[in-house]
Amino acid sequence: MNHSLESLFDGIIETLRIEILPKLDGEFVRGQAFGAIYALKSLKLRVSWSPEFLVEQLDALKACAEQLAAIKNLPAAAPRPILPDNYPHTAQQLEQLRNDGDDAMSALIVWRGTHKAEIPADAAAAANHAIKTYIHRQLKHELKTSAKPMFAEISLGKEIG
Amino acid sequence: MDQAADLPIALDNEDALSARLEAFLATQLGRPVKITALKRFAVGYSWITHGFRIAAPGIGGVIDLILRLGPSYGLFAPYSAAPEYLSLKAIENQNVPAPKAYFWSDDPAILGAPFSVTELVRGEAPIPWGEAGNMPDPLRDSLATQFTDALAALHNADWQISGLAALGAGVTNENVAGLQIKAWEHNYRRWTLRSYPMFEFGLQWLKEHEPVAQRVSIIHGDYRLGNFLAVGDKITAILDWELVHLGDPHEDLAWACLPQYRGGTNLMSRLITREDLYSRYMAKTGLTIDEKTMLFYEIFSLIKLAATHIAAVSVFERNHFHDMRMPAMGTQIAPVLRQMEKALEAVT
Repeated sequence: MNHSLESLFDGIIETLRIEILPKLDGEFVRGQAFGAIYALKSLKLRVSWSPEFLVEQLDALKACAEQLAAIKNLPAAAPRPILPDNYPHTAQQLEQLRNDGDDAMSALIVWRGTHKAEIPADAAAAANHAIKTYIHRQLKHELKTSAKPMFAEISLGKEIG
Repeated sequence: MDQAADLPIALDNEDALSARLEAFLATQLGRPVKITALKRFAVGYSWITHGFRIAAPGIGGVIDLILRLGPSYGLFAPYSAAPEYLSLKAIENQNVPAPKAYFWSDDPAILGAPFSVTELVRGEAPIPWGEAGNMPDPLRDSLATQFTDALAALHNADWQISGLAALGAGVTNENVAGLQIKAWEHNYRRWTLRSYPMFEFGLQWLKEHEPVAQRVSIIHGDYRLGNFLAVGDKITAILDWELVHLGDPHEDLAWACLPQYRGGTNLMSRLITREDLYSRYMAKTGLTIDEKTMLFYEIFSLIKLAATHIAAVSVFERNHFHDMRMPAMGTQIAPVLRQMEKALEAVT
């Protein structure tokens, strides 16, 4: 769930340059580090989050929007995600749409907490179900697209297993 | 202090840092001070920690010291050294093993950032991850007993007669949970670079289920395996006091019981069963552990943990904090939120 891929690349490159390179001894090893920096700079120019990664989240938001729309007595003032019929093509646009959708979902959760008295019980239950279904699908997708953690290695500074 | 000393210094310039620290300590101790062996330690995720030595007689005979600096780009910036210093002073002689605290200041003109000076305590920090966390039963039992007793002693400490009383003005059994929710919601809003619906869902649930505390105590805030030093089977110091605050004792218990710190075992902080922890803790404190309050603080702990991971992403991407542990922590936001979702599944 790191935010910007561009900032992530920049941060890795800066860490290599500022924290790691000055502590490396030997031309070959230092050359390898510069090679890694060059590769990352090149990748940064061409790489973006994959459409598959983002579209699944947009599909989940769309399904949630449809569930919310089907709740007849949910007050019109309730925030909700708005998705276009056809998704845009660039990763940046898809990402923005995902972020806008999550903003709307968060606003809905806050609104629901502050307007309890205005929401009929059946609508509140249905909205709760729609919110929980979306959250579950989003988190499941995030976990499915994450690498196995390496915190023991990071803490100890050596290969484990 | 001369004019040059009023200028900010780069925190990684150890020569300049030594000179400023010598000047500060000389003023405090009323005699010239010479610092040797200033060395940055590769520990912690937040404050910058240096070890250093001063010539005898040191400070009350202590010559090996720790300098902690809170950089403006750090994980929980902006920092204040006051809560940690005041808490360490409050628990002196209270059966909580901890470093002695000597000096602190939040004035960046002195060393370039808020800082504290404490005693250096010897020991190794067992960690909760991997094979390295395995230990023989007698050692684990001994550490578990001290771990529990130190927590109980911390929560029994009378902070109201210490310098912490000023920080505790207005904190009551009734509002302490709400104050903590407010503080971490504020942190989340200033750190996050995007919205996380599950985080909002968890926050909302907390606001609707605030418990009343049986007691307001000094809360360590990150009490677990990995945050204490031991020599052999003896805990020599509880470390990492940067999240210390006044709160409900259930908060530290819930944090120590997080699955993240069990190392894949059924032992809390990889040391002790939940039943043994609860029974020894209750006997030592006279408090009753309430399951509903524990659920509240379990969810609150996950909010804190997720917010901390969100902060890590923020300082790496926004503050140029060059530490690859930060984006690695960012990958843990989703697993923590999923854990929160599971914990709330049955009650929402």
